[in-house]
Amino acid sequence: MLDAFEILTTSGIVLWRKQYAPVSSSVVNSLINDVFIEQRGQKSNDGGKNPPYRKEKYTLRYTSAKDVGLIFVVVYQSLLHLSWVDDLLTAVRALFTKQYATELKKPHATTVNCRDFDQTFDALVRKLDTGSTRRPSEPDSDAGPVELTPPSSTASAGEDGVDDEDAPPPIPTAPQFKKPAIPQRQKQESAIVDDTTSTDITPVPTPDTSRPGTPSTASSHLLTAKAGPGKASRRARKANATAWSTSAPASSGDEGPIRKAKGGKTSAKQKRRWDADGFAADDNDPVLDYSAPAATSEPGDGERELDVNEVKAENMGSRTGKGQFVLKDLDDEVDAILASSKSSQATKETSAESSGLLGSATSRISGLFRNVVGGKTLSKQDLQQPLQQMQNHLLEKNVAREAAERLCTSVETDLLNQTTASFTSIDATIRTSMAKALTRILTPTSSLDLLRNITSTIEGPAARPYVISIVGVNGVGKSTSLSKIAYFLLQNKFRVLVVAADTFRSGAVEQLRVHVRNLSELSRREDVGTVELFEQGYGKDAATVARDAVSNATNAGKGEMLYDVVLIDTAGRRHNDTRLMSSLTKFGQLAKPDKIFMVGEALVGTDSVAQARNFAKEFVDTKGQLRNNGVGMDGFIISKCDTVGDMVGTLVSMVHATGIPVVFLGVGQHYGDLRGLNVGWAVDKLMK
Amino acid sequence: MASQSTVEAWLTWAFSPSISAILVTLVISLLSPILIHIYLYRKAQSKELPSFLLLGPSGAGKTTLLTLFANGTPSTTHTSQEPQTALCRLPSTVRSSEDRYRSEHDTSSRSQPQFLLVDTPGHGKLRHHAVTSLTSPGSLKGLIFVVDSAATSSSAGLTAAAEYLYDILLILQKRHTHSKTSKDPTALPVLIAANKQDVFTSLPTGLVKSKLEEEIARVRQTRSKGLLDSGIGMEDANVGDEEGNWLGEYGAREFGFGQMEEHGVDVRVAGGNVRGEGEGEGRVEEWWGWVGENL
Repeated sequence: MLDAFEILTTSGIVLWRKQYAPVSSSVVNSLINDVFIEQRGQKSNDGGKNPPYRKEKYTLRYTSAKDVGLIFVVVYQSLLHLSWVDDLLTAVRALFTKQYATELKKPHATTVNCRDFDQTFDALVRKLDTGSTRRPSEPDSDAGPVELTPPSSTASAGEDGVDDEDAPPPIPTAPQFKKPAIPQRQKQESAIVDDTTSTDITPVPTPDTSRPGTPSTASSHLLTAKAGPGKASRRARKANATAWSTSAPASSGDEGPIRKAKGGKTSAKQKRRWDADGFAADDNDPVLDYSAPAATSEPGDGERELDVNEVKAENMGSRTGKGQFVLKDLDDEVDAILASSKSSQATKETSAESSGLLGSATSRISGLFRNVVGGKTLSKQDLQQPLQQMQNHLLEKNVAREAAERLCTSVETDLLNQTTASFTSIDATIRTSMAKALTRILTPTSSLDLLRNITSTIEGPAARPYVISIVGVNGVGKSTSLSKIAYFLLQNKFRVLVVAADTFRSGAVEQLRVHVRNLSELSRREDVGTVELFEQGYGKDAATVARDAVSNATNAGKGEMLYDVVLIDTAGRRHNDTRLMSSLTKFGQLAKPDKIFMVGEALVGTDSVAQARNFAKEFVDTKGQLRNNGVGMDGFIISKCDTVGDMVGTLVSMVHATGIPVVFLGVGQHYGDLRGLNVGWAVDKLMK
Repeated sequence: MASQSTVEAWLTWAFSPSISAILVTLVISLLSPILIHIYLYRKAQSKELPSFLLLGPSGAGKTTLLTLFANGTPSTTHTSQEPQTALCRLPSTVRSSEDRYRSEHDTSSRSQPQFLLVDTPGHGKLRHHAVTSLTSPGSLKGLIFVVDSAATSSSAGLTAAAEYLYDILLILQKRHTHSKTSKDPTALPVLIAANKQDVFTSLPTGLVKSKLEEEIARVRQTRSKGLLDSGIGMEDANVGDEEGNWLGEYGAREFGFGQMEEHGVDVRVAGGNVRGEGEGEGRVEEWWGWVGENL
């Protein structure tokens, strides 16, 4: 079942959590890092629901309440398919924010005393937990007599269902194991098997079975269930339940799982109440009271709103005397929350109509005033137009549409329902938020100190040459960027070997030879490092050439390492040519570069996204895992930045597509015209 | 047409010398400044509390330290995405600097001053929060740079911590050297809190200090040789100045935190642990003491 449920703030403090099994905190940390900070793979596809995040053996589902800065995370084993978890998240979010809103909104609040929430949560889980692996929307078929279901399958279902309760889990293998036993004991054994099925396992498949649809059966079920508690023995009750093939929840003293079959449609749900004991003690399971709402179990109650209101009113009347509010109307509240979330999802697209000419005029005037003075709560309509302008602005700066849309979406989620500061217009607020988003997308996660990496690789007992390889589309300036890097490394007194692994285009080797000649002349004059060219002519396999070059530089077994850095130039290839691209995989595996840089032109527009993606996905290791922690490459070199002026949007597009940072910028024709990226500079240019 | 005549009638009344019009004008002219004042200064803080900034690489224990200082008990935490402020009060066992000359036997009630502790995310992409709050200090009294002593024993962890610390110290140094006025900006002391001293693999405080100094020297070396970045020509004209970008004593091979004193940055290293073994009691007295001294 669930492994953990955590409620944490965006500043990282865990406000409340419940762990059913120990879960390493690195699981949640990696969720935060990957999804919230790096915003990797965050494509919400099904109506606002966040896609599940998988890490190790766990699946994490999450939702966030932006206005109070909370994140709700559920952790469960990936083997299970818990379809009710989404409902749980929605319900918990609504209940928690409602219950503790005042405490959360206080300034400097670091903790919230939410010990009471344990009970609410337990009740919620009990209510929503269908324990099943099937989706609630699936048409439920009657599972038939339980005796006919194979013991092993019920047992495994039982494992799913009972784990979180204290009840002893059924021994799943026992029946299977005993089946091929000695024949004369067979009868007895089978009796035992039956016995276990009826005692331990029966309550478990019941969540799977649907509640009978006809009112007559339902009411009789209710009667039985009500007669059960306290009177019959456990086994008898279970047997009873089996007979009705529906859930018969246990008495208050029992530790057994109390779980209601959440029917195919949530509309056909019975109301439940808990009495005082259920609230007072944590472990005591609440008694189910089915007596009151006879009307609610009518099959025809399609009108949810009506249903909820009716029962709520009745509950209030009978319960207010006890003064326990939270648990009492929890059931209805949860129903209402889920219903409203569903209906909001359904009616999301149909936006609200403007209410009359006069109303819109006054709201517009007050909106204008607010826009000047500030203190305006931003709604989706307010943001729509300025965001569109912002997106157009980004497109003019040569940002790919996909990246611009994503940036605008992140700004919108950032600002929705926020209040603008005093004397700040919406546009200014959006600009600051956009600048923040750009800074976040462009800033590398870890620092890229190439010199440090090289020094630590070529020193020490396990010294070896540092291998850098450069890939890219035709004509973007791979060789030029490579010689610029070579010049930079030479200035730092490294011994550099340039490898001509472009064995395809005529003139490629000669071009590199010219570069190397120039560079060695320059370095001889300035008395810095040395540079050589490694080439094997045309027509040979690039991957083999690269491997030979690296082994040549290592000079293993023959004494000292000959070169510190190996720079490999590759043939340019079109990123949608699968034949040429696939050879990159072999190249990456044979040459084993420490760094793979991709050169991209600043001039390229929308295509940059596809280029970056296609190149990155080729670099997989022998296990089929993308290298460099699943991003493929190590950095981008954006060439020809001097030719585009302010339109440096390609930087954003490429980083957006892959999450790979920009390492160098080519800003001119000379060997020295290589720069690191200053994020502030880039953001400044983009926002200008 | 009818609306125009009503407007005219109103205007005539407003400019007429009748007593009611004068009264209304008086009330409006007297009340409006008051109302505007109330509206504007409703949220403004009357008094700014002294604040301390929590910095450090991700996973060092900044947020846990924050909750410990604020609530007395450390909470479970995950990676932060947003800065967080907390109101803390100096515990009665620690004397603040304004109580320096007070007698031990003075029984009159001591004021335990309050301060704000600002936690910043340590993730590489989110460090701009820290940098912005550092460049616009306001009532900032000091920085607490939290380091995981266990992570510093690995080279990757050490490099991450040292590079971040280098960046922060360089900002502080530039703040000092590039100040336009002859008056020094208020000195910002730095406490390097060597956290997680209870962990078996952690390094002792002295070793953490010397390792960080060595590593910063190396970072300084490679940074000075690295490429210029693309920000040249922005308003920050001092980027090209090599001496201005050299942390500490210019040209020195070794780096010591003592070199920062020249730039008005007092660096102290103190060990402790936010979480303890078993009973959950951390050892943070030294850090409290430092906070008390600098309040």
